[in-house]
Amino acid sequence: MRATGNPLWLAAGLVAVLSWPGVAVAASSVTGTVVFDGKAPALKPLDMAAEAVCHKKHGSKPAPNEALVLGTGNTMGNIMVWVSKGLPAGKTWPAPQTPVVLNQDGCVYKPHVMGIMVGQPYRILNSDGILHNIHTFPKINPSFNRGQPATVKEMSTTFGKPEAIFQVKCDVHPWMLAYVGVFTHPFFSVTGTDGKFTISGLDAGTYEITAWHERLGTQTASVTVSGSDKKNQDFKFALPGAGAK
Amino acid sequence: MSDQVVGAPPAHVAHGVHHEELGFWRKYVFSTDHKVIGIQYAVTGLLFLLFGFSLMMLMRWQLAYPGVPLPLIGQLFGEARMPGGTMLPEFYNELGAMHGTIMVFLGVVPLAVGGFGNFVLPLQIGAPDMAFPKVNMASYWCLFLGGITMLGSFLVPGGAAQSGWTSYTPLAVIAGTGQTWWLVGMIFLITSSLLGAINFITTTIQLRAKGLTFMRFPFFVWAQFVTAFLLLLAFPPLEAAGVMQLMDRVAGTSFFLPSGLVVSGQPLTNTGGGNPLLWQHLFWFLAHPEVYVLILPGMGIVAEVIANNTRKPLWGYRSMVYSLVFLGFMSFIVWAHHMFMTGMGTAMAAFFQTTTMIISVPSVVILTALIISLWGGSIRYNTAMLFAVSFLPMFGIGGLTGLPLGLNISDIPLHDTYYVIAHFHYVVAPGTIFALMAGIYYWYPKATGRRMNETLGKIHWFGSLVGMNIVFMPMFIIGMAGVSRRLFDAGSAYEFAQPTMHWNVVSSWGAWGMAVFQIPFIFNFFWSLRKGEKVGDNPWQATTIEWSAPSPPPHGNFVAAPQAYRGPYEYSVPGAGKDFVAQYEA
Repeated sequence: MRATGNPLWLAAGLVAVLSWPGVAVAASSVTGTVVFDGKAPALKPLDMAAEAVCHKKHGSKPAPNEALVLGTGNTMGNIMVWVSKGLPAGKTWPAPQTPVVLNQDGCVYKPHVMGIMVGQPYRILNSDGILHNIHTFPKINPSFNRGQPATVKEMSTTFGKPEAIFQVKCDVHPWMLAYVGVFTHPFFSVTGTDGKFTISGLDAGTYEITAWHERLGTQTASVTVSGSDKKNQDFKFALPGAGAK
Repeated sequence: MSDQVVGAPPAHVAHGVHHEELGFWRKYVFSTDHKVIGIQYAVTGLLFLLFGFSLMMLMRWQLAYPGVPLPLIGQLFGEARMPGGTMLPEFYNELGAMHGTIMVFLGVVPLAVGGFGNFVLPLQIGAPDMAFPKVNMASYWCLFLGGITMLGSFLVPGGAAQSGWTSYTPLAVIAGTGQTWWLVGMIFLITSSLLGAINFITTTIQLRAKGLTFMRFPFFVWAQFVTAFLLLLAFPPLEAAGVMQLMDRVAGTSFFLPSGLVVSGQPLTNTGGGNPLLWQHLFWFLAHPEVYVLILPGMGIVAEVIANNTRKPLWGYRSMVYSLVFLGFMSFIVWAHHMFMTGMGTAMAAFFQTTTMIISVPSVVILTALIISLWGGSIRYNTAMLFAVSFLPMFGIGGLTGLPLGLNISDIPLHDTYYVIAHFHYVVAPGTIFALMAGIYYWYPKATGRRMNETLGKIHWFGSLVGMNIVFMPMFIIGMAGVSRRLFDAGSAYEFAQPTMHWNVVSSWGAWGMAVFQIPFIFNFFWSLRKGEKVGDNPWQATTIEWSAPSPPPHGNFVAAPQAYRGPYEYSVPGAGKDFVAQYEA
């Protein structure tokens, strides 16, 4: 049998396969580390004396204030980093069906900062077995304000519109705070205590990357990638007036 | 007070004889006949009472068994309200706010004023209809629209109103969409009441039968007359307040939002210069007279039933009438006793607790006169009378337990506890609703030409009397232990409330048991329409003018224009050939 390889058909087939959703080709990534510059302020631990169950849960070691989480070398945790500009207009990314989980454990929201895609399930757990209240404060999405009694271990919701970070609060325990960013794309990351983030799967292009901290505001950087670049972009936060760069 | 007699134009009498037959829609739906409108009001009120009662039964599950999934039907309410059948606090708040709103504004008032007032009052004064029949129809349809709006609010995102039936600001202003629907619904309901009130006042004054002077009015007519003035004068401030709150919610005004308001740590941008307490003043300026709107028609009904079934004139009729008028007047200057907790100052508190103590005097006069009226009577213990007699101690408990709430010093610890719930419900549930039940059993023969079944009626009465007390008596205990009325879990999270938790179980089973005893009533109500014993025009051997009309009365009500020759309660007149002399008999 004679081979009938027509180069045009092969090229068309290749384009079709590569443009099929979920097929990644030569994607770039941006990684980096976020650090705190300067002398870190001492934050008071959370006072949970008003809630006996949670007070007892933390024992002799009170829960730390998560407004500033630093690792070795002043690396910063709880920094949301995302692509804020440069993504191709009109392109859509399907939301994963795997839920993003917010757990209320020891009267602390875990995780403290999280990103989620539009339409992705947002699962809210109550591991404390006491009444909590989940109250979101978005500007664009409808506010979600619902009590979660002791016996209701799980609730879920979704967010319908993209919205940069907004606060989640428990009206029963006012020290409980969390922050959520809702995106139309999957190019976001939250740093761990080591301050590291990774945003991968980017097509070639120039992007604006934003890093956000709940007290210290945002910083942006422009990154250009092509092919399978692995670019590095670090961020540095400092207290206002301390000369952050 | 004028004794001028304005006779109903004879030409209006028995109009039905000459009128062309109306089609179904104009006869039964968009009717201008006061009797049809009265029945529309009554049926609507009864349906809403059933609905509001159902909301309460759901609440009672949560209070008896907080956090436990409601068996069988719990999951039907969806994940947003009852995930896995467990009630969320927001849904409890919906139920609480809407139970109060529906029972007061869509249940009791439409039945007591719209139903009984429309059906009975023109008949009792010998009038062929209300003074403004089309306004009367408009009044009912405003109520209907208000009811539909309230029901529809359950379907909007976030559910119905959750800020209590009092809709206190600023909470209500920042609440979910359901509150907007509540306000729109209230505007319809208030408009309905205002239209009705104007009609009742005009009808009572202008369409009295010849010879029916004010002091020959049956006590029920007086009760409706005073009630109409309360509605007319007290509701407009709430209507204005409702529009103002609506504007705060949808138009960015700030009537009730103070400057610098911070909610859950977030500053609100559209606040400034408003006064949250202003809402409380405007609300209670209506809502305290509203309490008398709820109770006065009930007293009127009980007076009629007691006079008829003791076969005696009412004891102290004139004292009762003067007390009624005085009570109506005083009801406008007691409202701030609901607000002692707002820190109004000792001078204002002293004024309002004084007026509150004073207003209890006419209430006691009326209640005492009704009790004394029983003395020496040849009492007929039919179902209507059993409900009427039960009203007396039940309302008595409700009234007496209100005194500590009217005094600043004892109100502060009792405020917003279950004690308040118990007190108020003794006034309105085994109080007013028992009176309304008495009225249904009493005037059912006039409306249908048939009598309701007495055995079923007595089962209904017995279960209701026992049930009501099992429901509400424990609430005094719970309230005096300091448990707040607003807690969605009955206080199960608090140590101090633990000793009272079992009383919630008792109360809830009382409520569900009472629900079972309403089944004989519902069955009896419909069954008797076809199978009830047929009766003549005056089955109770009563004296007042409505019993001179055919049962049921035709369009125009009377075969011949009635005339009043004497007072309303000429029972057991010495020397008379029978034990009553009707008001309309020459």
